[in-house]
Amino acid sequence: MLQLERKPLARETAQNQIEAGGGHVVEIPGESDWRDAAEQVRDAVQVDIRFSSFKDGRGFTLATQLRERAGFTGRLRAVGDLIPDQARYLHRVGFDDVAPERTDLAADWAKARARFSHAYQPAQDKVTPIFRHRQARPGDDLAALNARYRGADAADILRDAIRNEWAGRIAVLSSFGAEAAVGLHMIARIAPDTPVIFLDTGRLFAQTEQYQRALTETLGLTNIRMLRPDAGEAAAEDGDDRLWQRDPDACCALRKVRPLDKVIGEYDALITGRKRFHGGERLALPVVERINGRIRVNPLASWDAEKVNAYFQRFDLPRHPLSDMGYASIGCWPCTAPVQDDGDVRSGRWAGRNKTECGIHTPSRIAAE
Amino acid sequence: MYKYDTYDHSLVRERIDEFRDQVERRLDGRLTEDQFKPLRLMNGVYLQLHAYMLRVAIPYGTLNGPQVRTLGHIARTYDKGYGHFTTRTNIQYNWPKLVDIPDILEDLAKVEMHAIQTSGNCIRNVTADPFAGAAADEIEDGRPWAEIIRQWSTFHPEFTFLPRKFKIAVNGAGEDRAGIRVHDIGLQIVRNAAGETGFEVWVGGGQGRTPRLGRKIRDFLAPEDLLSYLTAILRVYNQHGRRDNLYKARIKILVEALGAGEFGRQTEEEWAHIREGELKLPAAEIARIRAFFDAPPIAEATAIPATGRADFAQWLRRNRRDHKVAGLSSVVISLKPVGGAPGDITADQLDAVAGIAERYGFDEVRATPDQNLVLPHVRNADLEAVFDALAAAGLATANAGLATDIVACPGLDYCSLANARSIPIAQAISSLIEAEGLAGDVGDVTIKIDGCINACGHHHVAHIGVLGVDKRGEEFYQITLGGAFGTDAAIGNIVGKGLAGDDVPAAIVRLLRTYLEIRDENERFIDTLRRVGDEAFKESIYVAA
Repeated sequence: MLQLERKPLARETAQNQIEAGGGHVVEIPGESDWRDAAEQVRDAVQVDIRFSSFKDGRGFTLATQLRERAGFTGRLRAVGDLIPDQARYLHRVGFDDVAPERTDLAADWAKARARFSHAYQPAQDKVTPIFRHRQARPGDDLAALNARYRGADAADILRDAIRNEWAGRIAVLSSFGAEAAVGLHMIARIAPDTPVIFLDTGRLFAQTEQYQRALTETLGLTNIRMLRPDAGEAAAEDGDDRLWQRDPDACCALRKVRPLDKVIGEYDALITGRKRFHGGERLALPVVERINGRIRVNPLASWDAEKVNAYFQRFDLPRHPLSDMGYASIGCWPCTAPVQDDGDVRSGRWAGRNKTECGIHTPSRIAAE
Repeated sequence: MYKYDTYDHSLVRERIDEFRDQVERRLDGRLTEDQFKPLRLMNGVYLQLHAYMLRVAIPYGTLNGPQVRTLGHIARTYDKGYGHFTTRTNIQYNWPKLVDIPDILEDLAKVEMHAIQTSGNCIRNVTADPFAGAAADEIEDGRPWAEIIRQWSTFHPEFTFLPRKFKIAVNGAGEDRAGIRVHDIGLQIVRNAAGETGFEVWVGGGQGRTPRLGRKIRDFLAPEDLLSYLTAILRVYNQHGRRDNLYKARIKILVEALGAGEFGRQTEEEWAHIREGELKLPAAEIARIRAFFDAPPIAEATAIPATGRADFAQWLRRNRRDHKVAGLSSVVISLKPVGGAPGDITADQLDAVAGIAERYGFDEVRATPDQNLVLPHVRNADLEAVFDALAAAGLATANAGLATDIVACPGLDYCSLANARSIPIAQAISSLIEAEGLAGDVGDVTIKIDGCINACGHHHVAHIGVLGVDKRGEEFYQITLGGAFGTDAAIGNIVGKGLAGDDVPAAIVRLLRTYLEIRDENERFIDTLRRVGDEAFKESIYVAA
């Protein structure tokens, strides 16, 4: 007869609780039936699925079913006898993390996870399966893209965007501001030659310029595209260097919007680091949107300040020199101030004015026709 | 036939990089042998008795000229000048060096081929009717579905570490030439009352140690639901298939233990949750894949040529098959020269087949479960030229479906699992049948030989099966009778005690003579056997012993 009896579920361990920050952590064997497991994990913040042997693939289906059937949305971690060659499979079935028995192969694990550029099947990582790609052109279906990326890891969204969805036709827009290192770090691990557009307005803090050089080198980014305002236009429109004071919108148009407009046609999609917690118009920010006919991908849309900080700490990323001085969002020096107590993260931008965006992310009035 | 796009190409290339990396990590110790083994198997690399063996995938048995030529190049460059076609329509090379294998894979990738998932406990190469797209009795070409399954099953994140290997076959014709009832999943294309095509779904068939015929768990599955339904079956199997005993790990054991009804119920329960999800195939993708598999056009409906040549006439009679398009025929290229090793082909012969296919065969070749090749589309007006070109290459043996068209596993001459030799037994049987002049009189009969119970040579489903066993260091051969591979699928019965290898050919000849004596007019061997039962034949097997 078949042996379908379930092994008893392991009790949560105190050590894991601590690791997960005091939450409820449950370890279950990969051999468990998902229905039994679903009971155990209902209130857990993290579930560890233990693989007794890397050859026993039950945990792959168990993870899928905890995600699909049991609706588990907490952290899933694969633990036990696993080999790096399983990294991508584990990730694709819904694991957030792996704790293999052999701990000295981190480089092999990272390499294996990024080994393949595409996938034939839909899975829990929400990567677009190849058969949907083939149907995707022409025109991007925003609703479908957002549905697919819902709940996906930022790094997975970026990988899919850079490698699959807009491969070769996508660039990153970065201010090299206070939070920029997060997205750039992910991109550097996926494709360090992705074009990174940096708008050198001529009004940047010296610390930003210095940080841009340092971070580029630290992350190994190889394709920084520096855009500057047209010198003739700058002389004509801002001869006294006071345009920022007289008409900040005109200043942003001269120094940011128009330089970007000149090159934007080279790309079908731009990646930004905007986040909903920035407030204002960003409160309803989708992961994928279309601005003036071009795609913006906002993989970090759902991140909050705490998650950003945790990411900095986890990967020991260098901070912008001004972020320790109270600058939570950093633009040009004349129009950026530190955030006052209790102020929103972008409250130091154009402080005191009825202006919250420079215009590079805003639909232009002409294009809106 | 199917053509790779950039997605398919990049995945195959990335797989080669991965394999190179795995070999490197094995050599420097980052992978143990126990860890490396399933990884190399999933790239088709076996360690056999004398050397590594590389099994190259031929998805649903379909090849074009450049691919066949590349197979010849590999045989010539990296092997001993030949390759071996298998019963699962793949090709094996018996003598490659491990260090050469990544280079071989590079050569294969250039012509859209690979060795992915030709072994290991994963979803293996999908097989189909070798006459798909050509057969006169076809309901619908099964190959687009086989290609869709190939893509879905390649690097499947959930189903790459299954309890055991997993084989899927698709048959689109009235007659089952894909063996759907002896596969883990068999898909039979059917037409419903509304005239729409869909699939009958059979599960739990298989050969090996515990041969079982598949059971039907669904009468009609809509095509767009194919992948979600397969996923549901695999989920039930992956979770509940046995892992405590290698010999009881196939899905057939689970289906038998649960009962087909309960297995089907669990599948349907899982399926209900996923059928409307992401796996639903878009009609545009089905149409895109189908468009690769159109039948070739034909200029004029020429008749089968009349001929005064006895050799050509015999070849037409035995090796030609009716085609769905008037003016075309399919032909079988027998890889069973009398006294030869079944399924073997030389590099020069591969080149010849490639040239003939390109010139006369609309650039298409198929590999069959009988270890032969097929040119699926040949103009009737070109049949004689094809025959002459094949004859010049030593490939015009006119014995397709005859007693000398023997299937055999590699056996103890190559295989590390084998208990007994099988190729030399096949050679001796076919030589004796030929010497006795029996093949023509006996007509259609299948003889299949295995060197161990794993049954790669399909002896369970042969009219006459021969199974080599090892008894106290000596080879013995059990004879089975009454098996069948296709529509009338059946598992053969063991008729009695084993014979010494030297006695097998004569026993089979006596068996065939008994048939000639007791048959009704125009009755095939299998029909006589079913009419009179095993006993009448049993006597002839053991009479001299």
